[in-house]
Amino acid sequence: MANDPEPVLTPAIFYRDPKAALPWLEAAFGLETSMLITDDDGKFAHGELSWRGAAISVGGELASEALLGPAEMKSPASIGGVGTQFIRLTVEGDIDAHCAHARAAGARITQAPKNEFYGARTYRALDLEGHVWTFTKDIEDVSIAEMEKASGLKIESRENHP
Amino acid sequence: MTTPAARPSVSPGVSYRDPRAALAWLEKAFGFETTMVVEGPDGSIAHSEMRVGDGLIMVGSEWDAQHKSPASMGGINTQSIHVQLDEGIDAHCERARAAGAVITREPVDQFYGDRSYTAVDPEGHIWSFGETVKAMSHEEMTKAGGLAVRDRL
Repeated sequence: MANDPEPVLTPAIFYRDPKAALPWLEAAFGLETSMLITDDDGKFAHGELSWRGAAISVGGELASEALLGPAEMKSPASIGGVGTQFIRLTVEGDIDAHCAHARAAGARITQAPKNEFYGARTYRALDLEGHVWTFTKDIEDVSIAEMEKASGLKIESRENHP
Repeated sequence: MTTPAARPSVSPGVSYRDPRAALAWLEKAFGFETTMVVEGPDGSIAHSEMRVGDGLIMVGSEWDAQHKSPASMGGINTQSIHVQLDEGIDAHCERARAAGAVITREPVDQFYGDRSYTAVDPEGHIWSFGETVKAMSHEEMTKAGGLAVRDRL
């Protein structure tokens, strides 16, 4: 079989138990496992999830001088809930229903769905090991000037806004 | 209206102690393009976005106790980012090295048909870069790697 064209960017997320994370992320957030690589003993080596045409890699914790030098890959569950990145997913359908579904599946909702000054409705959730996931849906077009007025922030953008 | 490059369905957000320095460094070292900077009244960066191809990366600060740079966590990363290049991966690596990236894995051909390298940026974030040099099916990868590659759980 031919593989799909690879996306330019693929975030990788590290878990203490990546094999448990895959079905949890499917059930809670609606992601789909698109690839699972195991070794001869059936042990997890690498996983990939897909979301609306994009890919997310799932890996285990790793400390390897040879591969990573001084850096280490760890789950937030191993370092008191801290994360060095978060991940933002766009939602196509009803974002409030998506949030309710995630909550029912055990996600900890740290920010309930709310309308933001930049024209999106967003919510934030922690997964089973404490990674931060932000879900967002555009609900209206807001000009840069309107965003600046509403937020008190200064916004410079090279992308077109009305 | 729509933005010319639509918001991608998945975008990572990366925390830095000094996001302004990070934007400049990521442009110079990796060739990303800063497309949006949002500043608070004190001139600090509240939010920013960079583009690489049709991909989008958000660069931000350590804005609360849950979001920290690896520089504040003894080099630990809870996520990393892989960037797939069209061409020129060896030159890309040299450009990154010249800008001060620590190359932890030199460009090497992988069993799955990519040539890839891994770099650590000045605040300790791990980045990997790949270029497809031989398109392979999952069956071919399984044969070449001695690992089982499956499409489903």
